[in-house]
Amino acid sequence: MKILAFESSCDETSCAVIEDGRRILSDVISSQVPIHRKFGGVVPEIASRHHIEDVLPVAEEALSQAGCRWQDLDAVAVTQGPGLVGALLVGVAAAKAAAWALGKPLIAVNHMEGHIFANLLQYPDLEPPFLALVVSGGHTMLVVVRDYNTFELLGQTRDDAAGEAFDKIARVMGYPYPGGPHIDRLAKEGNPEAVHFPMAMAKEHNFDFSFSGLKSAVINYLHTAEMKKQPVVKEDVAASFQKAVVDVLTAKAMAALEKTGLRTLVLAGGVAANSGLRASLEAACGARGVRLCRPDPILCTDNGAMIGCRAYYMAQAGDFAPMTLNADPRLPFLAEPVK
Amino acid sequence: MLLAIDTSSLVLSCAVMDEDRLVAEWTVQRKLTHSEQLIPHMDALLREAGIEKKDITAVACAAGPGSFTGLRIGLATAKVIARIWQVPLIAVDTLEGLAWNMAGADAFILPLEDAQRGNVYAALYGAFEHMWLEAPEAAAPVDAVIEAAVRHGGTVIAVGECADKYKEKLLAAGIRLAPPQNRCCRAGSIAAAAWAKWQRRETADPMTLVPNYIRRSEAEVLWEQRHPETK
Repeated sequence: MKILAFESSCDETSCAVIEDGRRILSDVISSQVPIHRKFGGVVPEIASRHHIEDVLPVAEEALSQAGCRWQDLDAVAVTQGPGLVGALLVGVAAAKAAAWALGKPLIAVNHMEGHIFANLLQYPDLEPPFLALVVSGGHTMLVVVRDYNTFELLGQTRDDAAGEAFDKIARVMGYPYPGGPHIDRLAKEGNPEAVHFPMAMAKEHNFDFSFSGLKSAVINYLHTAEMKKQPVVKEDVAASFQKAVVDVLTAKAMAALEKTGLRTLVLAGGVAANSGLRASLEAACGARGVRLCRPDPILCTDNGAMIGCRAYYMAQAGDFAPMTLNADPRLPFLAEPVK
Repeated sequence: MLLAIDTSSLVLSCAVMDEDRLVAEWTVQRKLTHSEQLIPHMDALLREAGIEKKDITAVACAAGPGSFTGLRIGLATAKVIARIWQVPLIAVDTLEGLAWNMAGADAFILPLEDAQRGNVYAALYGAFEHMWLEAPEAAAPVDAVIEAAVRHGGTVIAVGECADKYKEKLLAAGIRLAPPQNRCCRAGSIAAAAWAKWQRRETADPMTLVPNYIRRSEAEVLWEQRHPETK
């Protein structure tokens, strides 16, 4: 079964052809990151304008790399949400048009489920059940994947996402968008014990997160130092902040493994590329004999392949979308199937 | 047979035209969600009119100006369909499409679409034996557009969603209003304009076609104001 998947939820236009859920025949990503850099973040209208320009060439390139024609496709998939509404709408319109023009079924995919399923592309032998730690610019959550189509949300952030805190702090430090990788790079050179930042909700016995207090503490620290004209060792601040985030993510993930008895942890979302988080989880999982899975950086970014992979398992369950499908910028994680 | 769509305004419209015969048209002015309804309406239109997808030999779309999001929904749809079916794609200027609502009126047609905050997208067309562009399109304050139309002289008839919105101002300036059924965006008119363009081989490349926004994004304009040195 060959699925063409469209992803346009934020600042990457991507299309992929996926065969039988796990085989990536192509995964073409047109990134707008350099375009949005000067604005200090993604500008929705500009993102939408680039999506409409790129969507068809990217789809054709994906087909050409996969060595197939439109008519060879068995289904068309698209990210329904969450994301920027104007950006999502371009992918949704293109995917609906393709499904209708070809007379093939349409599959509407939740972007965050896609991120989790990127692990199935990375590890051919990986099968549910497993625990997923999803960490991105918009989300932070712990999810139990019982089987291919049954998820349980154990906990999520009550305010900011972890990736949001990374980007905001990098911005205050004067680094361009996206700032997360800059913090990661600085943290490698710094002393994580130099500054003590609060570990939000670390003591609470649940699986929820909170990062806005930590974010404010770091920004206050930077501003206070600036006002008092005190020198700031950026490397130390980055290392101390990153440690506070990584420690709480690791602790909660380990507690979730203990509670569920699951033996596999998969990492998903843009922050999965963070080297501090990876090292911390590797050590903690290693000590417990738990298997840790993490997609390559290219599969951690927004991409069509993960959407196509998720879509395949939805198709297996007969979960198709109607032609009245609309984009949903705030699509909840455990959304009811599209009617 | 040519399939035409217009999602540039609050009106959702699709039509099928065969040379000089309008075979079917579906126009709804109920603030429907274009993203949800466009494909179902096209599907119903073809089905009810007994037309098969393989009978469609060209696709036309209103390409702007208009609602940025509406234009992208229409264009993404039209581009993909034209490419998959390997049929010509014809991009029709939204204002030109509106002018075709009054083709042969022996008057000058003033299409007016909403550009927000007291501004309109406007142009002036001569609709006599032939249709021609008399004054080029622009986004401008509605008062300035009305003044220019009055200065132009002759019989001027306003069409488009802003013909409703600024009805009093237009009538006070001596500009006529098209009747309601000829005032809104209609895919039948996009199809008629597209047919004329097709005869002239004026087709668009689905791989590169983008909406005619007229306006740049606000973020870009603000950024340039703050960074005058980059100009």
